[in-house]
Amino acid sequence: MSDEVELHFDPEKKHEHHHSRPKRSVVKPIVYGFMSFMLAFVLFLLTVCMVIRLTLFSSDFMIGSMASCGYYSMVKDELKDGLTALGHASGLPDSFCAEFVETIDFRQVEMNYIVSFYSGSSTLVDDTNFKQSFRAAIDKYIEDNNIDKSKTTESSLVNLVDKATDIYIDNVSIPFFSILANYIYKLSGTLNVIMMVLVVIAVIIGLLIYFTNEYKHRRHRYLCYAFITSAITAAIIPTIVYVSGIVAKVNLGTRSIYNLFVTYFSSMFRYFYYFAGIYLFLAIITFVFFRIAYGKTAKHH
Amino acid sequence: MSKRKSSHRSMNGKNFIILPIIFSLLILGICYAVVMPSARTFIKMGSLFFSDSEKNFSNDYNNIFVPVAEEPEEGTSEVSKVEEPKTVPLSSIEYPKIGEQFGELIIEDCQTDVKLFFGDGYVELNNGVGIYAGSFIPGYGKTIMIAGHNCTFFNGLKYAKVGQKVKIRTSYGNYTYEITDIQIKNAKDKSAYDLAAQTENLIMYTCYPFDALGFYPDRYFVYGKLVSGPVIDKKS
Repeated sequence: MSDEVELHFDPEKKHEHHHSRPKRSVVKPIVYGFMSFMLAFVLFLLTVCMVIRLTLFSSDFMIGSMASCGYYSMVKDELKDGLTALGHASGLPDSFCAEFVETIDFRQVEMNYIVSFYSGSSTLVDDTNFKQSFRAAIDKYIEDNNIDKSKTTESSLVNLVDKATDIYIDNVSIPFFSILANYIYKLSGTLNVIMMVLVVIAVIIGLLIYFTNEYKHRRHRYLCYAFITSAITAAIIPTIVYVSGIVAKVNLGTRSIYNLFVTYFSSMFRYFYYFAGIYLFLAIITFVFFRIAYGKTAKHH
Repeated sequence: MSKRKSSHRSMNGKNFIILPIIFSLLILGICYAVVMPSARTFIKMGSLFFSDSEKNFSNDYNNIFVPVAEEPEEGTSEVSKVEEPKTVPLSSIEYPKIGEQFGELIIEDCQTDVKLFFGDGYVELNNGVGIYAGSFIPGYGKTIMIAGHNCTFFNGLKYAKVGQKVKIRTSYGNYTYEITDIQIKNAKDKSAYDLAAQTENLIMYTCYPFDALGFYPDRYFVYGKLVSGPVIDKKS
């Protein structure tokens, strides 16, 4: 196949007459081609594992996605809508709900929730502060507006606070997080081991290709094949996802979760492009080395 | 010789493209063959979370309500009198989708004149009153359950009395109901409604008590019976 060029420089052919047709080696290119393929395969698997490690299993990535898609402000708007609707059923004016939501800072609560999720501990939203603040705001509202206390009961106010807290938890929590938490925590350790094994295999195959080839240009050529293959394979997956537009068609309940999902997975698939870029860079380097080595060998012969 | 050399080089160049593409397709093919049998179930489950188009999160709602001219009361000599049909084929009706405004509800004695939606979510109840999607539209011959907030659009229900008229106007006909009963029941009391009823009956409900601060477990149910309006012919 690609062996025609190298055949001119094969050592065993040095003794042959220059004008006679060189003898073709069939086994070597197949073996090195296979090794090159295996290296590309291992690099692809490593890429998938690393993308998962850097995105799905990373709390920083989740927090970063939240910040970049304006998640917090959207949650605030949805919380305002939810509390306003609750107010329509419980006698609270729209202005009360809007003003109250502005006083809440749930960023830290959200961050703690995410971090504890990834560390395998609680996946529950801490609603203590919200509950206390909401109750305090209602008491102040009753006092400020001289509301007749006979028109309300303690149990109805407790119900109101509980309903509001449910709305808060619904808005701040992320669907299916509590179900996924256990799996992610357990798989995290296994993934590290898998990645290390893949790195070792990739290094071994790379060294085999490098040190068992007599000619430098061949070493670089087979490594170059592997890197180009890895670049193409890594780039195909996100390209299919982007072209199909499947991520944007996800059917989620709220705008904040939808935007978070789209930002999160779009960024995740972008990581495949980053790896494809790295492989392409390595492919270019090995190709340049191949050309230099090829030129030298050709000159030598 | 030089011609042959250049031919070799070009072949070599092609190999840097063709071979990686073949390898790449092989890798993806192997991954597909290995992963698909076990992942198929999860992929099918996952596909339930995807729709054909991007979801619209706008708080705007679709209005399909086109008022039908009301039948003048007896004794009036209105020129543009429109004879309402006694039956309306189901096929001729644009059955409302959840979130669509498809009519309006008027209770003159309660100073209530509100938009009527299909569905009882945030958007619907923030803009009017909504039919619980598990019940039926007017004219269908079954139970119609309409929800509204007690501090906004259904605040007027506190003035409701037996014998008062409730008008529902839709694009396929105008309906009149008469209030037959008013009850206060717990929100979880299933005896408050019968969704399997085979006769047309109207149930309007809201939180109770009115104008009180707090969230109460009681609901204010206002029941009505059909007085007039076209019947939907479900067979045509």
